[in-house]
Amino acid sequence: MATSTSATLFDSIQCVEITSQVIMKITRHCHHELEKQLDPHVNGVLLGLINENKHVLEVTHCFPLMNSDTDEGMEINREYMLEMERSLRQVNIDYQQVGFYQSTYLNTHCDRNFLDSVFDYLEEMNEAIALIYDPLKTKMGNLSVRAFKLSLAAFQLYKEEKDFTAVMLREKSLTYENLFKEIPVVVKNSTLTNVLLCELDKVQDNTSFFTLPTSSYLEKSMQLLLGGLDETNQDLQKINMHQRAVYKQQNQIFKYVQERKEENAGREKNGLKPLPEEDVTKLFKAPPPVGRLESLLSANRIASHCEMIEDHVKSGIGKLYLADSFMS
Amino acid sequence: SSGINAEWPLRPGRMAVETRSVALPVRKVVIHPVVLFNIVDNYERRHDNNKRVIGTLLGRYDKGVVIVTESFAVPHQETEEEVSMDMEYAMRIGELQKKVNTNMYTVGWYSSGIVINEYSSLIHAFYKCQCPTPVHLTIDTVMKEQKMKINTHITLPIGVKNGTEGCIFTPVQYSIHGAEAEQVSLKFFQQLRGTKKTPNFNDQENIITSCDEMISQINVVMGHVKKVLSGEVPADKELGRQIMEVVQAVPNLDSDTITNMLNSHMQDLLAVEYLTYLTRQQLAVSARLNQIL
Repeated sequence: MATSTSATLFDSIQCVEITSQVIMKITRHCHHELEKQLDPHVNGVLLGLINENKHVLEVTHCFPLMNSDTDEGMEINREYMLEMERSLRQVNIDYQQVGFYQSTYLNTHCDRNFLDSVFDYLEEMNEAIALIYDPLKTKMGNLSVRAFKLSLAAFQLYKEEKDFTAVMLREKSLTYENLFKEIPVVVKNSTLTNVLLCELDKVQDNTSFFTLPTSSYLEKSMQLLLGGLDETNQDLQKINMHQRAVYKQQNQIFKYVQERKEENAGREKNGLKPLPEEDVTKLFKAPPPVGRLESLLSANRIASHCEMIEDHVKSGIGKLYLADSFMS
Repeated sequence: SSGINAEWPLRPGRMAVETRSVALPVRKVVIHPVVLFNIVDNYERRHDNNKRVIGTLLGRYDKGVVIVTESFAVPHQETEEEVSMDMEYAMRIGELQKKVNTNMYTVGWYSSGIVINEYSSLIHAFYKCQCPTPVHLTIDTVMKEQKMKINTHITLPIGVKNGTEGCIFTPVQYSIHGAEAEQVSLKFFQQLRGTKKTPNFNDQENIITSCDEMISQINVVMGHVKKVLSGEVPADKELGRQIMEVVQAVPNLDSDTITNMLNSHMQDLLAVEYLTYLTRQQLAVSARLNQIL
């Protein structure tokens, strides 16, 4: 029997501290794979420790995993993780898994697989987090690393049922907004690393934040938004059909009960034994309720796309005014 | 764990281990910043009785340039009399890393501290089996000279043939350079300056800081130009040409076209913003409805 996770234990982490080494490793891994294809599903394991006094999760190390779409790929990954765990102990690196990291392409990471992975890690350790790294945004000049985990209500619900119904959602007051919880991320370095950073001051840096808002980025975001809206539309149609089916069935049940009553009345008149009133629920099975999980996830995706576009537009308008002042 | 012992027969003038293939020429080493962070972290986590740490460098070789992109630590012990390292660990983890990271091979090894002694040449001999020209990277985490000096070396054979032969560690030019995104992260870390900070994905602050930087740079250039005009500083042709290039980089279009372009672009952005706002309102309404119905 699943023991109930107390709210205080589950939400005990209020902040995630990452060292710059981990971020550099994640960056390197993602961009190594990005050279080959536009949307590589890059993921890896985070290692670290929990600081219970300060309610902080410290991430101190990470290692990449292979792309495992096949079963044998997953088997190799499992062996690899065990091997790494044993080896890291020998060099004094924290070997406790505290979550996983994943790269995203324009915020499309939020799907069923992601939910499953987050759930798996949370089951093992209540404080596990999922770190989402956005390589495109970082390339444009803004380091984008965010930490997510399932909210307590979503976690408990997902433990019992793999697909949610509307009734369950209402009970737990779960909307697309509180499906995932974001935890603030802080980058903290040790003193020696700070010395290294001062040494690297002389490294030439050519990044610029001044790229004008290109239409291709907007187009792609809009396409994704439209895709998300299409999915929501399909969900709506499914719900509509379900409602119609329920209505039809209720009509049928009503008609059946009426017929039975009339027949019985007729038989009584003729002096025959009345037919038994059968249990209607056994005859007419109610149509299964529509799963709401997918619609929640797609609503989440749409919301994040909107956020992205809004950010882009705000900075874009600023840059356009700048360009105007230069050219006039 | 297997190790190399200093008493191993290493007659002066003969490498006890066969090199794998003909040594490839190495002119330059490009180090990605990740590697340096890894080494510093490794040094911080060392066992108390180790004064220095070693590990393997991974990367690739490209026409005379060795590009070092990753690294991992190798357990090793060093005392006055002997040195030992876990060779089996190095080879095992090397294989694992090669499986996970495509296009990455062993290209050398690193050690903390600037001392290069006979133990270094022993360890270097081991790495010569792994790759033709291993690069040896040292980083002075102890900071003997108040700086964290980084050095890269390769070994070249010296001596007289059929006489006393040996190897000498010669320095090689290096540069620290990462991919675009790595540079961005590095810039962010340098802004930390010993405090902790949340990575902000809000473009506007970054634009403001970049604007300030640009204004100060323009002021410097203007100051120089004024000095040249007033005769204080002799004019430099190269500098003048470069300044001309910068000024001419702004496209020279007539003001009508510019206003039209900017306006249409602005309208696109505003339209998109309105649509997203609308979408978000719809989502919020649907979420509330779900709660009620």
